[in-house]
Amino acid sequence: MPCHKDKEVAFFGKITAGITHEINNVLAIIKEATGLLEDILSLTGEDAFSHKNKFEITLNRILGQIQRGVAITNNLNRFAHSPDHSPSTIDLNEVAEQVVLLASRFARLKNVDLETGPKDGPLIIKTHPVSLQMALFITIELFLDLTKSGGRIILSPRKIQNKYVVGIHFESKTPGDTDLFQAIISSDRWESLQEIMAYLGGTAQVDKFAPEILLYFTEAINK
Amino acid sequence: MRNLKILLVDDEVEFVTTLAERLELRGFRAQAVTDGESALHIIESDPPQVIILDVMMPGMGGLEVLKRIKTQHPQIHVILLTGHGSTKEGIEGMQRGAFDYLMKPINIEELIKKMQDAIKSQP
Repeated sequence: MPCHKDKEVAFFGKITAGITHEINNVLAIIKEATGLLEDILSLTGEDAFSHKNKFEITLNRILGQIQRGVAITNNLNRFAHSPDHSPSTIDLNEVAEQVVLLASRFARLKNVDLETGPKDGPLIIKTHPVSLQMALFITIELFLDLTKSGGRIILSPRKIQNKYVVGIHFESKTPGDTDLFQAIISSDRWESLQEIMAYLGGTAQVDKFAPEILLYFTEAINK
Repeated sequence: MRNLKILLVDDEVEFVTTLAERLELRGFRAQAVTDGESALHIIESDPPQVIILDVMMPGMGGLEVLKRIKTQHPQIHVILLTGHGSTKEGIEGMQRGAFDYLMKPINIEELIKKMQDAIKSQP
């Protein structure tokens, strides 16, 4: 039987998913209205009225922003559905890509590039999707906290000696960021990360030479 | 092909009327309604060749409307419109006889292509 916290998360997810559908409908209407204006413009001659070119450019900008809005709501919708089935079977590559999209704004505020590394086939595990996303997000936040500005964070899901791992590698651009190891293990977020990984039946380790945080996941969680 | 008779069914009135207008500009005969019951009435009196049908509607849902259309008028092609993350409904709709499905917001050229494919598929 789900506990109260699980019910809260499920409620939050359901409401958020419903709202993303509403936003999507708004975007669909704006897209059709913009499309209609484009259709009408295309029926007029080149010099039918002054500034026609500016109208076309502006309509294109609106369409670009609609596309951006759709991508954001799609991602938020997927995130909102994460608690629907827990535990569930997921591909670590897909989850890493999704977290990169969700965390991109936070990285951008610190001028940090956030990306996923090269894929090496599907990495399917059975786990709690919300906690998994939290673990990846906290690790990203941990690096963002420790850098002044700039750098690159790369999430690389992979298998190491038959274990399922997501490596979060950080390339700093700030000279003061060189000794990250001590800063990582003494931060509050590191403690939170350890707790989440224990809940997921896994561990978090630091490779201080990379520098990289390695999250080890169990193939199939039972609880 | 351009004279095709199309019925658009979606509870978002601004969406469905604007889309109908855009299809009219391209030479199609497009009619728009905002609920399943109205769609079924029109189908009885003036059946279209293709129906563009939203899955998520208040009252009679799109999949129920589809079921009734396919029982009474199996020759009419139905293309479903789904929201994001609703691939499941789209696939279920195809299993129930829909020709295909598109996710909103749609691309009008893609919609026209699917309607043409549907008509060409007619035996």
